[in-house]
Amino acid sequence: MSAATTAKAPTGVWTLRARGFREFARKFARRSDGVLGFVILVFFTIMAIAPQLFVGALESAITASGDGLGPPSMTHILGTDELGRDMLNLTIHGARVSMVIGLLATVITVVVGAVIGIVSGFVGGLTDSSLMRLTDFFLVLPTFVLAIILAPIILDMIGVDAEVAGLRATLVVIVIVIGITSWASTARIIRSQTLSVKERMFVDRARVIGSGNGHIMIKHVLPNVMNLIVANTVLVFAGAVFTETTLAFIGLGDPFLPSWGQLLYAAEAAGAPGLGAWWLIAPPAICVVLVILGFTLMGNALDDILNPKSGVRR
Amino acid sequence: MGGTYLLRRLVQATLTILGIVVLNFFLFRMMPGSPERILLRNPHLTQATVDAARARWGLDEPVPVQLVKYLAATAQGDLGYSFQYRGQPVGEVIGNRMWPTIILVGIAEVIAIIFGLALGAYSGWKRGGNVDKVGNGVSLVLYSMPYFVIGMPLIIIFAAELGWFPTSGMLTPGATYASPMDQLLDFLHHLVLPLLTVSLGLIGGYSILMRSAIIETRTEDYVTTAKAKGLSENRIVRHHAFPNALLPTVTIIAINLGYVVAGVLTAEIIFNWPGLGTLTYQALSVRDFPVLQGVFLILSIAVVMANLGADLLYGVLDPRVRT
Repeated sequence: MSAATTAKAPTGVWTLRARGFREFARKFARRSDGVLGFVILVFFTIMAIAPQLFVGALESAITASGDGLGPPSMTHILGTDELGRDMLNLTIHGARVSMVIGLLATVITVVVGAVIGIVSGFVGGLTDSSLMRLTDFFLVLPTFVLAIILAPIILDMIGVDAEVAGLRATLVVIVIVIGITSWASTARIIRSQTLSVKERMFVDRARVIGSGNGHIMIKHVLPNVMNLIVANTVLVFAGAVFTETTLAFIGLGDPFLPSWGQLLYAAEAAGAPGLGAWWLIAPPAICVVLVILGFTLMGNALDDILNPKSGVRR
Repeated sequence: MGGTYLLRRLVQATLTILGIVVLNFFLFRMMPGSPERILLRNPHLTQATVDAARARWGLDEPVPVQLVKYLAATAQGDLGYSFQYRGQPVGEVIGNRMWPTIILVGIAEVIAIIFGLALGAYSGWKRGGNVDKVGNGVSLVLYSMPYFVIGMPLIIIFAAELGWFPTSGMLTPGATYASPMDQLLDFLHHLVLPLLTVSLGLIGGYSILMRSAIIETRTEDYVTTAKAKGLSENRIVRHHAFPNALLPTVTIIAINLGYVVAGVLTAEIIFNWPGLGTLTYQALSVRDFPVLQGVFLILSIAVVMANLGADLLYGVLDPRVRT
């Protein structure tokens, strides 16, 4: 970086960015745990985007291809559920539901968290202290129980028949609920980085030439906390999938568009653990754990590389 | 301990709990099944009947007055009446279900703190060693597992297949006991698997936290000094690295309690453990909002209190914060 900026001709910003990215890619490639997480996630992303590569259309109670509660066999590699639906089919289609809900919830969480964090850290004063009070409040709350209470309220507000981006209302509710209840730690992290960016020279320079707060926050602070946002996003994604699974497991999922959590809920409702029907549980459970693990591994590696604070740690 | 530090924490905790009660007040008015909205749905009601009902429930008063009355009632332990349990007070419903959860979480926390911190400290200190590779890997996997995902295989293996432990409940239904000792044994027999589930769930996170905290201390000057003095490795870890690593760990453990709640509730559901988790599950399935809000309030207070406790403990552990 320093060599590039002192070089003779003014280097284009894109050349610099490309160089920065190559540097980052080199560091990331050395983190075997991060790469492992990345590979896991690529696999599940393909599964989410194109389930038809692996199995046929999502089976319903009517189009079920097997008998109820059949253990794994040649025709149904992962067995069938209590309605006779093929577990491989359900699990692979579950990838899209789980990942899309996770993605949307992550976007809401990170946008809310980043906006509150940047504004709070940059504006300071009363704004900062009141926003941080609110953040600490949400940080401590058992948000899971709050989510359970909020879900029916939000469902009522947006209407049962509403549909957003092809998601049914029940699933949209889960997205919103996760967003509302999990932005606090992101806000904390972004705020502390904003506080240090704010003291840097270019912020003073921008102010001297007459830039307003909004302009400085978007053009100067945001790019400088972007690395942190990226690393945090991946970790938030892990949390979002985790929360979605848990919420679906207690019955807030959508039986017609089953996520992995919903499949586990159905397995529990069918008494699978007590019956020893492990094939109803193992496929969705293993997928959930692998995806959360993938995001956690990749997120930790990114955090070590991109977060100036954790970079000191060896 | 400095008075201001203590006072500030106390005020903060009180405000947080007050905030939760106020939040509950407004949430209840937004509920799809609130009494007012159910009334208004009936077209045959005369205005007089509606007014009478509103007056009886105190809904005709201005919102601030309602809020004050609500706060006063909550402070006196009046959490309203359950829909599901035919008007039984929410406080009573929750009170009956609290102990199983407290016992489960309490014991699991003790087990997890001992084993999680020990594992984390050891693997962090011997970073890259065999214990670290396996221990950290296992911790990461456990950390990625929702508690019910940990518990379901345990039920299949140890209850359904091997039959060593019962699959559900807290006591054998319909059993008569010759002595209290027998009853206790039956209870412990039922406790093993839920306890194992929650402990394993907690151990993953605690060990990861402790590991990274210990790794940070390894490069600190006081550790270098201790090494230079020729202290044994064991002594350095016990007396220098571990106490310092404990500080950030205590804080994060306390903050994360809110998340632990979710895990414990789901673990209770799969074992049909008669605590707040199964209560929440039943209340959710019949939309028993007063009970849900009561559980939310009780758990919030518990978490806030635990955080307060951690803050005070922090003050004892670290003299620097006593300002």
